[in-house]
Amino acid sequence: MLYIYLAIVLFLLVFIVWNMIQEKNVLLQIDAALVVVPLVLRLLLIK
Amino acid sequence: MKIETKKSWLTAIVLLCLSALTIGYLATVFLAQRQEEPIYPGPGVTEIKMLSDWYPGLKDTAGDTEVYVLKGAKEGDSMLVLGGTHANEPSGLVAAVLLIENAVVEEGTLYVIPRANNSAMTCTDPQEGAPTRFTISTPNGDRWFRFGSRATNPVHQWPDPEIYVHATSGQRLSGSETRNLNRAYPGRTDGNFTEKIAYGVAELIRQEDVAIEMDLHEASPEYPTINAMVAHEDAMLLANSAIINMALEGVSIGIEPSPTNLHGLTHRELGDFTDTYALLMETSNPSQGRLRGRTDSEMVVTGKDKFYVKAAEYGRLYVPYDEAGHPISMRVARHICGVTQVAAAFNELGLGNLVMTNIPSYAEMEGDIGPYLAPPAA
Repeated sequence: MLYIYLAIVLFLLVFIVWNMIQEKNVLLQIDAALVVVPLVLRLLLIK
Repeated sequence: MKIETKKSWLTAIVLLCLSALTIGYLATVFLAQRQEEPIYPGPGVTEIKMLSDWYPGLKDTAGDTEVYVLKGAKEGDSMLVLGGTHANEPSGLVAAVLLIENAVVEEGTLYVIPRANNSAMTCTDPQEGAPTRFTISTPNGDRWFRFGSRATNPVHQWPDPEIYVHATSGQRLSGSETRNLNRAYPGRTDGNFTEKIAYGVAELIRQEDVAIEMDLHEASPEYPTINAMVAHEDAMLLANSAIINMALEGVSIGIEPSPTNLHGLTHRELGDFTDTYALLMETSNPSQGRLRGRTDSEMVVTGKDKFYVKAAEYGRLYVPYDEAGHPISMRVARHICGVTQVAAAFNELGLGNLVMTNIPSYAEMEGDIGPYLAPPAA
């Protein structure tokens, strides 16, 4: 279960960062940067 | 609003750097919660073991926790004291530490687990605004203690089911209770992480033939089971004798029979599934209540809160409450008095022999427990 969860988190993280690089609207890029924070903390099993 | 950029990769890199800085800072904050407060074993401690010594399935997990053994020179009966079952109920932890640092056993054995749910010590409850630690002043400097969560850290056990079904009874509770150690007893080896911790505690009791188990808790002032000793039916005579002894020491405390239809709790399952006399104590802790205001280290220690004063004026509480609050010294003193008097009642009733000394009295501790905590290491 844990590894499935981590795989889902990683999958989301990769797509969010990819979209962030493609995105032309800076405000949406900021949104993505905020979402990245909890996802990385989750991926590292810190929080 | 739309702010366009032509070099989206450049802004993305800048923003990712800011994210990385934020992650670094937050990681430091959250990982600091995994640091354990120092405990200085007193003259009575003969051995420090781990819960995995009784249930190896916990080894190298966040559920493994220290078990302090205070063995007397003479053979006798044994008692297990649990602090930190709920890590947001701090007087249980501090009372356990105070026993470790002071008690000397002459006859029998005292087992003390200060952080029964070690995982719950590593996080706080979401949206509660609780501190991660609190400080108690001693004559030789401040001692800090961890303030944690009611339940196991979700990092160690996830996800919660919609409904938690207690294994041995089939009782159905809300999903988050699946991480509540005091709903997981008697535990099982093929259960979830919290059930394995509960199994470890039950195994200690079974393997060491522990005669008395005392689980030290706290409750919010608006909760009806408060300033009470909850007893399994087999332990009712022992509890009755103990609370009379406590009354003679000036501690007013009620007695509650363990409900037969509420499962997973120490006072029910350890009484049913082991031969121990299973008891649980509750004191009054405003810092975990629903009616409280700002929650910080000072409030945890002083137990003072103006909103509880108002609630008391409206008659909404189950305990007297005024501007003096419910300080942690008084709450810890109640727990220690309970442990002492249960052991005394056990001997007086001829149920066995467990003789402990060097434990301060309620009157000595009520105003200030600081002098009875070991000086912090330099």
